[in-house]
Amino acid sequence: MTGLLDNLLNGVALGSVYALIALGFVTIFKASGVLSFAHGSLLLLGGYLVAVLHDDLGFAGALALAVVVTALVAGALDRLVLQRVGTDSHAAHVQTIVTIGIDIILVTDLARRIGGDLLTLGDPWGDSVTDLGPVTVADSRIAAIVVSAVAIAGAFALFRFTPWGLSLRAAAEDAEAAALMGVRLTRVRAIAWCLAGGLAALAAVFLVAFPAPGLERTTGQIALKAFPAAILGGMASPVGALVGSMLIGLTEALVAGYQSDLHVLGEGFGDVAPYAVMVLVLLVRPTGLFAARGAARV
Amino acid sequence: MTTRTAAPPALDVRDVTVRFAGLTALDDVSFTVAPGTVHAVIGPNGAGKSTCFNVLSGLYRPAQGSVRLGDAELTRLAPHRIAALGVARTFQNIVTTQGTVADNLMLGRHVLSRAGFAASALRLPRAAREQREHLARAREIAELTGLGEHFETPVALLSYGDRKRVELARALCLEPRVLLLDEPVAGMNAGERARTAEVVRDVRAELGLSVVLVEHDMGLVMRLADEVTVLDFGRAIAHGTPDEVRRDPEVLRAYLGTGTTGEDAA
Amino acid sequence: MSDVLTSVLRRRGGSLLLAVLLCALPFYLDAFWLRIGLFSMAAAIGAVGIGLLSGTAGQLSLGHAFFLAVGAYGYVWLAGEPGPGLPPALAAVLAVLLAGAAGGLFSPVAGRVKGVYLGVATLALVFLGHHVLLTADSVTGGFNGRSVPPLELGGFSFTETDPELTVLGVPFGAEERLWYLGLALFALTWFTARGLLRGRPGRALVALRDSETAASVMGVQVARYRSAAFVVSSMYAGLAGVLLALSFRRVVPDYFSLALSVDYLAMIVIGGLGSVAGATAGAVFITALPLLMTRYADQLPLVATPGSGDGSIGPTEAARYLYGAAIVVILLYAPDGLHGLARRTRARLRRRRPVTAPSDAGPSPRTPATTTARAKEHTP
Repeated sequence: MTGLLDNLLNGVALGSVYALIALGFVTIFKASGVLSFAHGSLLLLGGYLVAVLHDDLGFAGALALAVVVTALVAGALDRLVLQRVGTDSHAAHVQTIVTIGIDIILVTDLARRIGGDLLTLGDPWGDSVTDLGPVTVADSRIAAIVVSAVAIAGAFALFRFTPWGLSLRAAAEDAEAAALMGVRLTRVRAIAWCLAGGLAALAAVFLVAFPAPGLERTTGQIALKAFPAAILGGMASPVGALVGSMLIGLTEALVAGYQSDLHVLGEGFGDVAPYAVMVLVLLVRPTGLFAARGAARV
Repeated sequence: MTTRTAAPPALDVRDVTVRFAGLTALDDVSFTVAPGTVHAVIGPNGAGKSTCFNVLSGLYRPAQGSVRLGDAELTRLAPHRIAALGVARTFQNIVTTQGTVADNLMLGRHVLSRAGFAASALRLPRAAREQREHLARAREIAELTGLGEHFETPVALLSYGDRKRVELARALCLEPRVLLLDEPVAGMNAGERARTAEVVRDVRAELGLSVVLVEHDMGLVMRLADEVTVLDFGRAIAHGTPDEVRRDPEVLRAYLGTGTTGEDAA
Repeated sequence: MSDVLTSVLRRRGGSLLLAVLLCALPFYLDAFWLRIGLFSMAAAIGAVGIGLLSGTAGQLSLGHAFFLAVGAYGYVWLAGEPGPGLPPALAAVLAVLLAGAAGGLFSPVAGRVKGVYLGVATLALVFLGHHVLLTADSVTGGFNGRSVPPLELGGFSFTETDPELTVLGVPFGAEERLWYLGLALFALTWFTARGLLRGRPGRALVALRDSETAASVMGVQVARYRSAAFVVSSMYAGLAGVLLALSFRRVVPDYFSLALSVDYLAMIVIGGLGSVAGATAGAVFITALPLLMTRYADQLPLVATPGSGDGSIGPTEAARYLYGAAIVVILLYAPDGLHGLARRTRARLRRRRPVTAPSDAGPSPRTPATTTARAKEHTP
């Protein structure tokens, strides 16, 4: 029984970190129609900045600076590179491929700097644990859940209550009409990228916290798991991204937790189980769980 | 090569109702398109004309009602099945695909031709022959619709009126028994309008097909239509010959302000 | 009429010359260059396949590496031991069909899921496939992979010896032999893909991409054509996989990663979506770049030779930087890829020609004909 609770808690912690990443994907997709493959490298950049800065600035200072810098880098990439690519109806596709190029450059550079090392981020919770009734939880997991919840609530407040959020929704509905109404799409997009970059940097901290060993050159690849999370939710729905992330996190944690009972599926199936879940869901709902449904406009 | 020679059966629309999220776009609409006639569906903007077309071509499924073409119940069929029965349509906003006029017209020959992936990939003689024959027919139709000289031109380079005509020609390439025209002359100048009207009259006479026409240009409707159905707020408020409809007090009320005379210029 | 004839001759003449040139290369190039050529040909075959799916039909796929793996491992298993040990030629054909069947099994998803959604859905194939390659030891050899049985055709083996072969004083080893196999398979790919694109299926797929609604009311069965495009694309990937396996002589799971899928996507976008020639150009570019960078590292500024000091930029890294930068720069200045760039350059040159030779009236009636023929093939 405690095994199950353990696994569920792990799943929620994992899910909330994925949610930070998936929310970024969805925001970018809503604002620009681009599927960002550069997300893994932004995440790695955020983590790397915390790793090299925490000695001088302390963890909190390093994290704050890393979030800001990553956000600015993401915004700048959109404004200075992506927005200059293509203008026709295929622009979003071409820009999606450009994010691949950006990702390759960033990852190559960061990986070269990190080398074969495992970097620590100097986080305050370390490997300490807390007893919660029958289960023992790593503090890093509690921190992941709490911080993610706060960050996600903040992001939703931005969507809901700011002029930017309104513009974002208008642009996602009908970019042309929004532009005619005076929405500055270039800025709406760039800010969406900033938000996504900041969230990715935040996610990095918890992805490499205990019990994970530390920041490696391959850490960015974990961002890919947020793809199924985002698509499960319908790609353009922030709420869907949350639900999708939880589903992915729980699946991964439960499959990994019951690995011994599932050995027919092979070792390490937990890592790929989210993708299996995604395919199953897409079979039933080809546009995700939360996709807007309506008659096609002709 | 397949061409349809038999006279088209009647197209019978019965009690069709379409709702979108509580909004009733079509409310109990019925009309019958007699074989070989031009039947116009008119009405103010938002009256449900395009919705009606989308039901006829299988893009929308009505909440209730039936659409019968001869023995076939169209509301139960997917769009491509309806196309295979010989129902072709054009769109209000131009929907052409990339490539030349020929490419677009050849898409219209899709249901009449057979070459699949394997035959086309291996360029089997029968696939090549089929392609040649259909290309010849597509060229004929291009000539008929006044697109002959543009046959090899990329659609993107054509004028608005010509692109509109590509849609018409593409629909004709299906050798339809029923042709659905959604505002075929919208945005055209007077000369282009007259030419399109002529084409519609010619193909009807030559090929004996039925035409359902949605159009704002009342002059065109009055000249071409054998019968008119007037929609207003999703309901059919009048049926009859153009002359009868023109005098119908309900119709005048629905059109008051937008006026039948203002758009009659052409 | 003679005008048309000369124009046809001129265009065919170009490809004829290219074919002769490609056939002559093994007599002049060493194994290193031949291997680059071989990998490029294999990549081109795979790129044509994904070009058909993503470029022509507008369906994004990140699962191409999986189907390459099915082709490669399918051949190795079918022709090898453990495995049924079939004649290698038969195994190669079956491996291609197997890849197609794998694509068919995915068709409930591929037929219904659209555009970017399919792209993400196909991620599952790569990760699940990789997992299977690692765990199904008895078939795949696990982490260390398997060695590839050489291809044999009627007693002729595509290896260094058996039989010894010297043509015009040039000893024909595995690379030389495989080069001609690669050329033949690539020619087959070119021939079939162009047939598909210019025939009824190609038009239906383009229509599907540009407007699903228009395609369906013109009679195109949406789900069926989407699935078919996926299956055909998988078969080309399978064929590429077989050729890659033969060239590498060993297959390992880690080669068939997401990065490989991304490479293939980059090939067709860099080359220019929707054209066979573009996909080929992109494939050669992306395949040859890292190999050339590694080989000529010592002659490049800023690049350290392998194994030198820590923190410096090695050739592999330099190739990655250049690869990433090439994607960004090419798409920044030519969103329609190398193919579009070539087309526009040609058009510009042609426009300039009448100025230099104003008395020549010949080119002007020919120009529109050639332009439209090009435009038909180019469908981004």
